[in-house]
Amino acid sequence: MKKHFLPLALITLTPLIWTGCSSGGARRIDAGGRESVTTIGHVDIQDFVAAAEASVGKLLASGALDKVPNPPAILAISSVRNQTGQQFDTDLLTKKIRVKLNTSGKALTTTTVGLDGVAEDPLAKQLQGERELLEKKRDNVTPNFTLSGKIIETRARAGDVRQSTFSFQLSLTDKRGLAVWEGEEEITKQGKRPSVGF
Amino acid sequence: MTIRMTQTIAGAALLASVLLTGGCKTTVNTVESAQPTAKKEMVADKRVITDSSLASKVYVVGVNEAKTPGGLIQIQLEVVNQTSSRQRFTYHVQWFDAAGMQLSSTTAAILPCVIEGKETRYLSAVAPHPACKDFRVQFLENSK
Repeated sequence: MKKHFLPLALITLTPLIWTGCSSGGARRIDAGGRESVTTIGHVDIQDFVAAAEASVGKLLASGALDKVPNPPAILAISSVRNQTGQQFDTDLLTKKIRVKLNTSGKALTTTTVGLDGVAEDPLAKQLQGERELLEKKRDNVTPNFTLSGKIIETRARAGDVRQSTFSFQLSLTDKRGLAVWEGEEEITKQGKRPSVGF
Repeated sequence: MTIRMTQTIAGAALLASVLLTGGCKTTVNTVESAQPTAKKEMVADKRVITDSSLASKVYVVGVNEAKTPGGLIQIQLEVVNQTSSRQRFTYHVQWFDAAGMQLSSTTAAILPCVIEGKETRYLSAVAPHPACKDFRVQFLENSK
């Protein structure tokens, strides 16, 4: 009896120890943290976080935003197109970039200038128009730069191993229409099935 | 019969472990200028090691500090994989102001890194705010 006790105990305890680290019950985790689910064919929240972090780091390090006559630079967000097979709002990337640039003090984003004349904040645009009418002068706040980009997906497969690469391409264009900074972050994920963690 | 079966199982396990371990072992060869022109501004660092396993595999050689054209602190960590097999870990940079207060939780990105055997990699980060004066980098070994 004693002879069989140790193997039996090991067989019983091992699954308990394993499941102790990953219980199936719902719980809150850090957004984009180490416990996030990593999928293969989708852009996960941690991918947006990593792409935004890397892009902003490179943009700030380039000094492109510092070359304006009256800092901080004024930035308008142009089109950031989602060319992947997945449906998501590209603000998941651009908002993170905007927040980081705003925090850095190197750029402010205008919410009254948008693509095709559509303002992100219509009330702010209306109030700006009314103020300009009353004061009979135009606010000379024209963007120094526009930010545009694309998110592209490339897929590959070898047997039952799947691979997806997501390319986050961004361009910062000045008033002359020249791309003064360009960035590309690629995130490649490979595996057979989604898993927890990086 | 039982002894033969045990020997067969043990042999198969040994072969499998050799194949599995050997399959992951590839190391990096490098070549560089013998007299580099770049002069690094290395930072005197303090290390708190709670996972000696990770610290012995992925060693932080040093931290290089510079300023961006806009005056933000930029750091670059030189890490080397001391083992002959591929290592995976995540790292996270925290930034502090002159009063020691942590700045901007929005930049708390946890970034994955894969480093080949004997490879040296450089991990860079730019301070999120001009008020950032200090930094701390956390490393965590991937569980798989």
